[in-house]
Amino acid sequence: MNLDHFGMDTITLAGPLEGKLRAVGEAGFTQVMLNANDIAGHPAGAQAAIATVRKSGLRVTGFQVLRDFEGLSGHLHAYKVDIAKAMLEMCHALDSRVLLVCSSTSAHATADFDSLKKDLQKIAMLAVPYGIRIAYEALSWGRHVTEYPQAWDIVAEADRANLGLAIDSFHALATGTGAERLDEIVADRIFLVQLADFMWQEIRSREERINTARHFRVFPGEGVHSAEVAGLVRSLDRMGYRGDYSFEVFNDDYTQLPPPVVAARARRSVKWLTDQVSRRSLPLRGARR
Amino acid sequence: MTVKEQLPEPSNPLGIDGIEFIEFATSQPQALGTVLQRMGFAPVARHRSREVMLYRQGPMNLIVNAHPDALPGMSAPEATPELKAIALRVRDAAYAWRHALELGAWEMPTRASAMELNIPGIHGVGDSLVYFVDRYKDFSIYDVDFVSLPGAPRNPPAVAGLHYFGVVQSIYGDRTRDWVDFYRHLFGFSVLPEGQYFGVLPKGTLLESPCHKFYLQLIEPPPGSEEIHWEEALVRIGLGAPDVPAATRALKERGVVFVDRGPVQPSEKGALTQVSLGGVTFELVVSHLKP
Repeated sequence: MNLDHFGMDTITLAGPLEGKLRAVGEAGFTQVMLNANDIAGHPAGAQAAIATVRKSGLRVTGFQVLRDFEGLSGHLHAYKVDIAKAMLEMCHALDSRVLLVCSSTSAHATADFDSLKKDLQKIAMLAVPYGIRIAYEALSWGRHVTEYPQAWDIVAEADRANLGLAIDSFHALATGTGAERLDEIVADRIFLVQLADFMWQEIRSREERINTARHFRVFPGEGVHSAEVAGLVRSLDRMGYRGDYSFEVFNDDYTQLPPPVVAARARRSVKWLTDQVSRRSLPLRGARR
Repeated sequence: MTVKEQLPEPSNPLGIDGIEFIEFATSQPQALGTVLQRMGFAPVARHRSREVMLYRQGPMNLIVNAHPDALPGMSAPEATPELKAIALRVRDAAYAWRHALELGAWEMPTRASAMELNIPGIHGVGDSLVYFVDRYKDFSIYDVDFVSLPGAPRNPPAVAGLHYFGVVQSIYGDRTRDWVDFYRHLFGFSVLPEGQYFGVLPKGTLLESPCHKFYLQLIEPPPGSEEIHWEEALVRIGLGAPDVPAATRALKERGVVFVDRGPVQPSEKGALTQVSLGGVTFELVVSHLKP
């Protein structure tokens, strides 16, 4: 595991897209996770934003985020399919191979397993001609799907080659879902891992989860669940996950700092994580001999 | 005593019943027409208002679309003709189209259609389309849009029993399972067991149509081919022949040149024509199909 396996999310950084990409690249990262707002909200327009990303030389880890897609019916479903198609087209224009889809928070979404499965099969089918993989993430405040083992149940049952999981350490920590649950999952069906920690031990209410997730995340190694985050990455590495890790750190303080300062913290986090993973795995290898 | 195995028939939800036509888009319709005529296709009708021609050979309809709308990115006069569409015969075209969209197919842009008749279609690989046609038994879709060429035979016979056998599609690496999902779940294709191939190009993944009337072959780039230009597209038509050597002889007499070296040289199993117009080839395959 090395620096090339890690990327930053643009949502962690302040300012215009150009400055974010520069800071990410100058910190030594080779990839970046893009947010739809980076493109749609670019002052010179979406085409200019796409050109900026291409010029940066950074590989696009993935594109986020399609929300509240699954479980709707009638005109709400038709509307969300339109949104999904527009996002797939943006994702494709950016050469991004992954679209992040978060579990629905909508009060209108059904809990019916077959409906959720069918909708994920549909977004996966829409993504096939563009060569895009759908990474489905359990949002800890989702309406019906809040933990990654639940997301996995649907993804496994849906059984589409380009449909897999996004695992976000923040949500797993928030719901207390341990890394041992990864045993149920096939490594090559995990399409993305997003990493973040936070600064307090527990999150009690749904509101507190949302608030913490949106304003108070920190990089791995900076929070109070260091052992759990490192354990999660170790488990992923051991189970054979060789895909990308992206720091999804929503933090109000970091968006008040110059991007290079924050990118340097992300870089330190990579060092901390890779040390944690190799430190624990070395004695194990020694013991086997 | 033998017990007859009760294998379930793979389902055919759209009532697919073979290929109605295959469409090329090209900026050089005359040159492509010459290639097609050597292969045994005869021009039979011209579109009423667009630069579109209908060629026919036995049971095969082939459309050459040179209308500017069909040629994005092909403005260069020497651009290679591209396979732009496969039209599937189905039980109910409107139903097939709705069913496909319900499962996550993309609606095709109407301006790209060769026909003025409303033929529903969806996006296929690359820039290609898949049409659904249900009027093929007692009514011809071509009667609406096309005018017969004076003096041309309406139903020119096939050279040596040639018929559509399938279409070859190139795909990017590690994309086989994605495209298998696409054809399996949208149309009901099934994957043939590994190692079961026809013809002289035994590679990739073969998919059989739910009507058992034609095949699709998915080809990932060969290993070590990082340098070659490779994109996802329909790349070649496979023509079935009951007797390949006889078909090869008949086509050679018409001026078709076959690749005559290496593993793809003409044999009982199949043959491959040399590349024309920068990228057009046909593959002959010994065929058990009854068109």
